[in-house]
This record gives sequence, structure tokens and C-alpha cells, in this order.
Amino acid sequence: MTDTAIEIKNLHFSYGRRKVLTGVNLNVPKGSIFGFLGRNGAGKTTLIKTLLGLQKSSAGTATILGMDCFAHALEVRKRIGYMAEDQQMYGWMTVGQIIRWVGAFYPNWDNAFTDRLVDMLRLSKQTKVRALSKGQNSSLALLLALGHHPELVILDDPTLGLDPIARKDFLRRVIDLLQSNGVTVFFSSHLLYEIEPVADHIAILDDGVIRKCGKTEMLRETVRKFIFTPKPEADLASLPGLLDLTVAGDNIAVTLEQCDAQTRHKIRELSQTAMEESALNLDEIFEACVIGNKTPAPQPAG
Amino acid sequence: MFIRIEPSSSVPIYRQIIDQIRYQVAAGILKKGDKVLSVRELALQLAVNQNTILKVYNELCRENVLKIERGEGTYVLAEQHTISTQEKRDMLAGPLRQAAALAIQLDIPLDLAAQLLHSEYETILAQRNSLSGGSKESPHV
Repeated sequence: MTDTAIEIKNLHFSYGRRKVLTGVNLNVPKGSIFGFLGRNGAGKTTLIKTLLGLQKSSAGTATILGMDCFAHALEVRKRIGYMAEDQQMYGWMTVGQIIRWVGAFYPNWDNAFTDRLVDMLRLSKQTKVRALSKGQNSSLALLLALGHHPELVILDDPTLGLDPIARKDFLRRVIDLLQSNGVTVFFSSHLLYEIEPVADHIAILDDGVIRKCGKTEMLRETVRKFIFTPKPEADLASLPGLLDLTVAGDNIAVTLEQCDAQTRHKIRELSQTAMEESALNLDEIFEACVIGNKTPAPQPAG
Repeated sequence: MFIRIEPSSSVPIYRQIIDQIRYQVAAGILKKGDKVLSVRELALQLAVNQNTILKVYNELCRENVLKIERGEGTYVLAEQHTISTQEKRDMLAGPLRQAAALAIQLDIPLDLAAQLLHSEYETILAQRNSLSGGSKESPHV
């Protein structure tokens, strides 16, 4: 048995000539909550469509629970749950009717379990789907993704459009209903601060590739910003793990990933003054990973 | 147990929780023998991954601040005075380091900075004493 729930190797995907994914590598450990981050349009949903077996990649492989996502799409779908962003469901059905409707597609649907979920999520089987609030709508979508006891649940920006309280409620359910039962969760979002508290691992997708991937706490512990005045001959582009470089007069600010004692030593060598080191908050880390400037600007004249 | 996570902080979440629990024991808010929330309960309350809370509890157990009784729950093991002077100093060192850096940036000499700390300390102590009507003594470390 493998300990990996999702394994993606060198995955490429294009819409016509537009390349969306250009060599994605990703491993999602079983039982983990995996935060999958990217800006809108970064390719998150394209990757999820590939995982769901809805499209064939141009190159590379994607497997779920050891099975190829495209070749074994049906078998994969029996064992995973999926919840879309702003999921649309038949508005004229009642909650009870839509549960029966969706359940009929799954041989192992657990009616007793979904009844318990209806109570726990404070839904009513008599309510028409169109009359649900946004928060209730997301509760129902989650319920429909769980009724067949999936081993892996894919949540595509599930909290989009929810207010802060409904959002926190949703995250609590992910912890209580999924993590407590050992279900692997692949959770996409464009908000790092939302995903950080619940995720074991985080990957940041940008421009078709994974920019950063690792244990969640590593993000804050290893990304550092240094401000110093470089020696005139300093080769800043050679700094390891450079995410961002900004020049302000004689001073420069560099943001580095995987910062350790060796990195600090290297900066001290390049610097002609004392350096100032600071940790970054999540928004700053996300920004540095996604829109960081990696080329040293020309030195200002004079 | 009141714990607050500061999302915009640069300190990792598990570190924020550890610091707050340790502080609450050192300040006598959590007392020896108090039962703390289970991993699952605290994870739900804070909407934080259970493994994060598990990591917090394991580390605090290693430091003998908490004790996990199998099947019963997690209890405070340390007494207020068993938090060593060294640990209390460590808790204070972080904010003081920031204050020192700020003083240097603003070109405030050390004796003036020390004077400011002294007067802030006295002010808060005076406020506390007038509230509790209690002893006028400084806390001893």
C-alpha cells in the first residue's frame, strides 16, 4: 500500500496553444489536509478537472489512490468526493430529494450517515434547495460529497462567497468530519490565511508550476526578508532560494526561502553594513512566491 | 482556556498557541491540576488542524507543563513557580528585543529607554494595586 493519496508527475495541460499547466509535481500524503493555493486563473481548477478524470493531460501523469485519473476515472470517482466552488444544484428539489437523487449514483451510499449529517449541519430535508442561504448551500454540497464515505475529498474553493462566520464553520466541519475520520482533503483556495490553520501541507501554484510546497509551518519558519547595503561587487542573483528583490537607494531588500545559518553567512559576506532580518506574514510570503521580482535592478546612478 | 490566533503575525500558529499556554501557566491563569480541552475540542474551537494541537500538547508535555493521562484527558502539570526564571526571561526577551531595536532606530539612548521602561512598569503596577487594593510590593522573580 502506498501512503500517497494523490501523485502528480510532470503534468502538462494546454487549452489549444495556451499552456495552463507546465510541469506540475505534487504528492498529497494520505490522511493529510492539503492546501492548494493560487491566484484566480493560476490553473487550480484545470488541475482539479484533470484529477477528476474530465480531461486528458498533454503530458505527465496524475494518479489518485494508485489509479490513473483518466484511465480509471470511474473507479476513482467511487472513492473520492468532490465539492465545487459555488456549487449549483437543482433549485426546485428539496434537500431530501437531492440527497436521494445523488445517492442513487453510488452503490455504497450511506443513508443513515447522511441523515445524521442533515441534523449536524442544521439542514432540513423539507427545504427547497433554492431557498438555502449560501452557508447552507455549502453545507449541502459538502454532505453530497461525503455520503459514500470517500477516502479523499477534493474541495475547489469551497468557501468562496461565504461570510467569515460561515467560513470558519466550514473549516471546523473539515476538521471534525474529515480529519477526525482519516479522510484525505485536497482543499483549493486563493486565501493563504484561510488555509494555513487547517492545512498540514501547502502548495502554491503559479503560472502553471508549483512555486512552493511543504509543511505548513515551514512556510513561516524558513521564509525571511533581509535589508542591507550590498558591496558594489556583490552578486545578488547567486543568493540561494531568492523569491524577491527590491532596491531602495543604497539598500536592498531580499526575500529568501529555506533560510538557514549558511544563508545568513552568505548575506553577511555580500553586505557592507549590518543586516536587518525579519519574518514575514502569510500575505507577504504568498506575494513573494507569486509575484516576486528575481532579477537585480540596475544600480541607481551616483 | 482562551487562546487567540493572530493571523497577520509572522509567528507560526503552533508556536503562538504554545507561547500562550505557557504564559497562562506562568501568570497563574492555568493552575496545576486544571483540565485543558482535548486535542479535538481545542482544534474545533480555534478551527485549527488537529495535528497542530497535537504538536503543541506533545511539546508542552515534553517540557512538563502539561500531562496527558491516557483515556482521561490533558492536565496542567506545572505550577506557576515551577516555570523557571530563565523561561520567564525568555518570554520577556522577545518584546524587549523589539523595543531595543526601535530605540536604536529612533536614536533613543539606553538610559532614556530604561527610564521609559521603568515608568511604564511603575504605572501598571500602581494601576493593579489600586484595583486590587492589595500589596504594594513588586512581584519577585
